[in-house]
Amino acid sequence: MEELGGRGVHPALKELVAEASQALARLDADRLEELALSCQILNRDLAPGEAGNRAELACQAREATGDMAVFARVLEATRANLNVMSRLRELRAGRLEYGGSQGRMWTRMENGHGDN
Amino acid sequence: MGTINSAFSLMSQALDADQSALNIVANNVANASTPGYTEETASWQENQPLEIGGSSYGTGATVTGATSVRDKVLTERLDQQQQLASASSARLTALNSIQALFTPDTGSTSSTAGDIGSDITSLFSSFSSLETNPSNNSDRQAVLSAAKTLAGDISGAADSLNSQRSALDQEASGVTSQVNSLTSSIAQLNLQIQSTSPDADAGTLEDQRQQDISQLSQLIGINQVTTENNGLEITTTTGQLLVSNGTSTQMTTGTVNGVTDFFLGGTDITSQLASGGGELGGYLTARDQDIPNVLQSLDQLAYGVSTEVNSLNNAGTDYDGVEGTGTNSAGVTGTGTTPLYIFNEPTEVAGSAAAMSVAMTDPNQIAAAGFGQGTGDNSNATAMASLASSTSVSLNGQTAINYYSNFVSTLGSTVSQAQTENTAQTASVTQLQTQNDALSSVNLNDEASAMTTMERSYQAASQVFAMLNTIMASALNLGEQSTVS
Repeated sequence: MEELGGRGVHPALKELVAEASQALARLDADRLEELALSCQILNRDLAPGEAGNRAELACQAREATGDMAVFARVLEATRANLNVMSRLRELRAGRLEYGGSQGRMWTRMENGHGDN
Repeated sequence: MGTINSAFSLMSQALDADQSALNIVANNVANASTPGYTEETASWQENQPLEIGGSSYGTGATVTGATSVRDKVLTERLDQQQQLASASSARLTALNSIQALFTPDTGSTSSTAGDIGSDITSLFSSFSSLETNPSNNSDRQAVLSAAKTLAGDISGAADSLNSQRSALDQEASGVTSQVNSLTSSIAQLNLQIQSTSPDADAGTLEDQRQQDISQLSQLIGINQVTTENNGLEITTTTGQLLVSNGTSTQMTTGTVNGVTDFFLGGTDITSQLASGGGELGGYLTARDQDIPNVLQSLDQLAYGVSTEVNSLNNAGTDYDGVEGTGTNSAGVTGTGTTPLYIFNEPTEVAGSAAAMSVAMTDPNQIAAAGFGQGTGDNSNATAMASLASSTSVSLNGQTAINYYSNFVSTLGSTVSQAQTENTAQTASVTQLQTQNDALSSVNLNDEASAMTTMERSYQAASQVFAMLNTIMASALNLGEQSTVS
């Protein structure tokens, strides 16, 4: 896993969120999985009794507010993109059809050519 | 004979249909590099079969026209994403310029806005030096010099920010004519499409309209609604009508509070456009939010430093033995008649940065001594030097240097977020563009394959035609001796 610029024992939440935004936009599943592991580490460190870490994480969370807003916007855009892309895949697979001409274009190579 | 004639007719139609399909392929190949051109495919239609004596006979197929290979859901999503990417790109460019202003220029010999942090440190250091030797004229001169450098850099930064704001205002204003030109063009294309192709894809006309919409999406945030007869309605993201079928509403501008505001049908839509997207959204966000925020922080810094330093200097005795008019920490008020201010005393926070300057010209007026002390006293200089580590209510409970440091850090954070967002939004545009190109662009390999298929089909129809001709000749020569029989 790539090194995330960290502070203390934690990877910096701010950088983690910023990287997640970029990985999400690139649809980089591998990197997103690595970042998810980092989130698990952060969650683990929230265990009761580690007040120092909790305070530091709370501070990092405040600092990362802007980056989280960016992540939310990128997430929204990516979700919309994926909806469109999965719809395209459905169209290609012939499982979805709307509008006569729209449906035809996916099967044009299989059509007859008028010589029958 | 009737059957042979039917077969002739059928083959003739097949030849025509294949020829039409080949023309469509040729048109695709010719426009492979034309920007905005969408690949077309032949639309085949089966002819009505003939019923003879209870039997059904096929009558072949015809090409009814060309259909563009486009997906409106995909192109609309691409337009939406383009709006987000353009807005973040325009804003990022503006933020980078702002950040550059506060970046120290190590190669420059003159002091600039990037040196404000070290200017603050230098000012308080000059008070420390004066504290050590309150009678020294060069130390007094050094205080005024440090104050002038700080005031000059802060007011210079405010001037530069105001200039950047004006430049953004002009950029934003310039977008209006482009928007109006595009909405007019879309309205005209709507009319043409509705009159020539109300029930089907309008091919090149639709390509032109889509190109205009793509360009419009780079400029402002829009919503699209398809109307009857292949028409289109375009609104801003908050619903103000820009194009309704054949009619476009022109956007106008006017000056409000010194900046350009944007109007549609008499309604001021500036704030809606700022959050809507496109270049204009980015320009307006930087002009109306980012720069005012930076200016406000700078005003607060200028106000805090000026009033704190003035307040302390006015609560002491200068080198000529003249007391200020202020009250010191012990509650003693000076006997002076004129305030001893180093900086021009600001009356309010707003505008403090641009107006920041040094009012004092005589270094002897620096009040290093406390009230009732001799001119060699340094107690007030000590108090002014301690400002370096004193927090101030005017600076949100921070020291001046910490306030400035946090300001630069916040600005850096904002730029970093804008950079992340721009990278992400641009990557999304690229993904969608790739999908759209894969769907709608002309693929020369596919065209070559289609052309080969059509040619073979054409050749096959020609062969059948020749065979029919032979059969027809044989039929005509039945009963007569000929080479055919």
